[in-house]
Amino acid sequence: MTTAASDSATTPEPGAAEVPRPSVTLQVLLSNEFGLAALIAVAVVIFATSLPGFTSPFSLFTLSRQIGIDTMIGLAMMAVIVTGGLDLSVGAIGACAAMFFGFGLEQLGLPLPVAIVFALLLGAGLGAINGITVVRSGVHSFIITLASMSIFFGVMIYLTQAKGFNGLPPGVAAFGRMKLVGPVSVLLVTTLAVCAGLLVLYRFTALGRQMLSAGANARAAELSGIEVGRTLIFCHALTGALAALAGLMLTARTGAAVPSMAGHLGQDWLLPAFLAPVLGGTLLTGGRVSVIGTLLGATFVTVITSGLLLMRVSEFWVQAFLGLMLLAAVLIDKARHTLLRRRGMI
Amino acid sequence: MRNSILKSGLAMLAVAGLASPALAGSDTKVALVPGGPHPYFAAWEQAGKDAMKDFSLAAGDYRVPQKWELSQQSQLLESLLTQGYNAFLIFPGDAVGTNAVVQEIVDNKGIAIATAGCLKDPTPALFCMGTDTGNSAYLGTKELIKAMGGKGRIAHFTGFLVDPNTQLRIDAVKKAADETNGAVTVVQVIADIDAPQPAEEKINAYLAAHAADVDGIVTTAWVPAVTAANSLRKLGDKRIKMVGIDHDEVVIKAIKDGFVNGTMLQNPYGQGYLGSYVLNKLRGGCKLKDDAPWKSNALTKKFVDSGTVFVDASQADNYVDAMRAITKTILANFEKDYMTCS
Repeated sequence: MTTAASDSATTPEPGAAEVPRPSVTLQVLLSNEFGLAALIAVAVVIFATSLPGFTSPFSLFTLSRQIGIDTMIGLAMMAVIVTGGLDLSVGAIGACAAMFFGFGLEQLGLPLPVAIVFALLLGAGLGAINGITVVRSGVHSFIITLASMSIFFGVMIYLTQAKGFNGLPPGVAAFGRMKLVGPVSVLLVTTLAVCAGLLVLYRFTALGRQMLSAGANARAAELSGIEVGRTLIFCHALTGALAALAGLMLTARTGAAVPSMAGHLGQDWLLPAFLAPVLGGTLLTGGRVSVIGTLLGATFVTVITSGLLLMRVSEFWVQAFLGLMLLAAVLIDKARHTLLRRRGMI
Repeated sequence: MRNSILKSGLAMLAVAGLASPALAGSDTKVALVPGGPHPYFAAWEQAGKDAMKDFSLAAGDYRVPQKWELSQQSQLLESLLTQGYNAFLIFPGDAVGTNAVVQEIVDNKGIAIATAGCLKDPTPALFCMGTDTGNSAYLGTKELIKAMGGKGRIAHFTGFLVDPNTQLRIDAVKKAADETNGAVTVVQVIADIDAPQPAEEKINAYLAAHAADVDGIVTTAWVPAVTAANSLRKLGDKRIKMVGIDHDEVVIKAIKDGFVNGTMLQNPYGQGYLGSYVLNKLRGGCKLKDDAPWKSNALTKKFVDSGTVFVDASQADNYVDAMRAITKTILANFEKDYMTCS
């Protein structure tokens, strides 16, 4: 069964049990996205009323910037989860693209727009390599990207000797500090623009629908004329490009391209990469994505983390609190569905 | 024990007036923030508490990012700034990448010193206080070569490759070996092992296969030092000479028992204590002198060496004295040498 409020999903199989279609309002109320939005609202109200610093312009700015970056990382993973696969190398690709961006600007003297395009193309290319290897070998993307994570990162560290590029044009750092509409970071606005593009892709284009179909049921998609292999490669390339964009955003945030931006082998990105889309309702089995849900998932995690840090909860407990909050969120969502089902509302 | 001795000595200095009453003690909130959890920084907690008491700081809190991640540290620093901290001792999560969040601290009227590790120039941090890592690795290797009788093969176990200090250490070890005109060679460098699991796996595997092929081991990161000391004890091999780093009890005991020849001590307590003192002075109106005797290293031209010293079996019981002496000297002269206070 699909959830109508998700951004895009495959259609039910013919012959599936007919369920009375709920009203649009009820669809919204029952959606993952609404549940997340409600939780975010509750968290914001609690933190804003109990923590004076939470609503300060600096806090709101850093919050919006973090949401922008974490959402972009989540979107990168979402683009490949749609196929039922995953990409453990998103962090490595992001770091490689960022370092190439820095190299292009600092060493080759490329104009900024050209360096951006080349970095995105590199990300897409590395993603495509993952996709081609997955399709040609038939090995699960977990194994392929586990290997490519080490390869991409290792080659990058070898070539750069782990030295960052901090002689970037001032405009790069200025972009990372730029605010739009009060304290809102321009990085969040960038992410919102990408979200809009992905919504259009998955909802209104043939390619987007092919991606969802290939992820939901590859065999059925193939029988209906979709070139599943090519579609999967495109999904991986899209993941690479989005990871590269996340890397560029982090470069703008730090004002420098640094090899450790995503941690050792790029592993630091894995938690936000999975958390945001999965919380937002993207199915790990593929065939269903939620761009808005990914945005809300990243927002929820960032708000909770920021609030807990401001509450001076020990840094070592933040992760545990985060896990508890996430578990509570999932259980509350399930309880909401159960209650509605008992009342015959779904 | 070590910290309590150091604490009492430095407190006496503070009372004696060398560290004059804080000029802005009432509102200086110092946060001591390492790059992530690591035993090296454990001494910072006591250093912050002692500095808070001795210099009447509003806060001297040790706050650790939950993971060794640049983004986690940046997020924590932003949060601390929001909470009202105005003076920061920071071990940079990245020598280049941490500059951005330090700039935000400065933009919001805070000040920061890069501590234990440096930020790359140009940097908004006031200066860097730490161990001269390259020099420490060089001196340690020279001591190892001496213990090896001036000839043989060395294995070098070190930290994470993403840390620019690691390359400095690798270069320094190689430099010391090259100075022997081929009598000593570095036959193996194993990096990326400053964590228990990779250190155990790689060092034990290497020694199991190649113990007979090496005559000396130099370690330039905490965890590899502990792991290598344990491995040599397990092997019962006193033929292989070793010089470690830092003051983990495992390493000190291995020195006493003859499995390790010595260790290059660093001064984490002194870094935290001295750094807090300096931040408070600067917030109280003191200015840093441009013509101060700044040292330079590969990352910055404003470097203060917090001290490093080689400790062998003869000093293993009283190694604290050596570091206390260095800390006292720096504290006693810092204002005169590095600051102008009205």
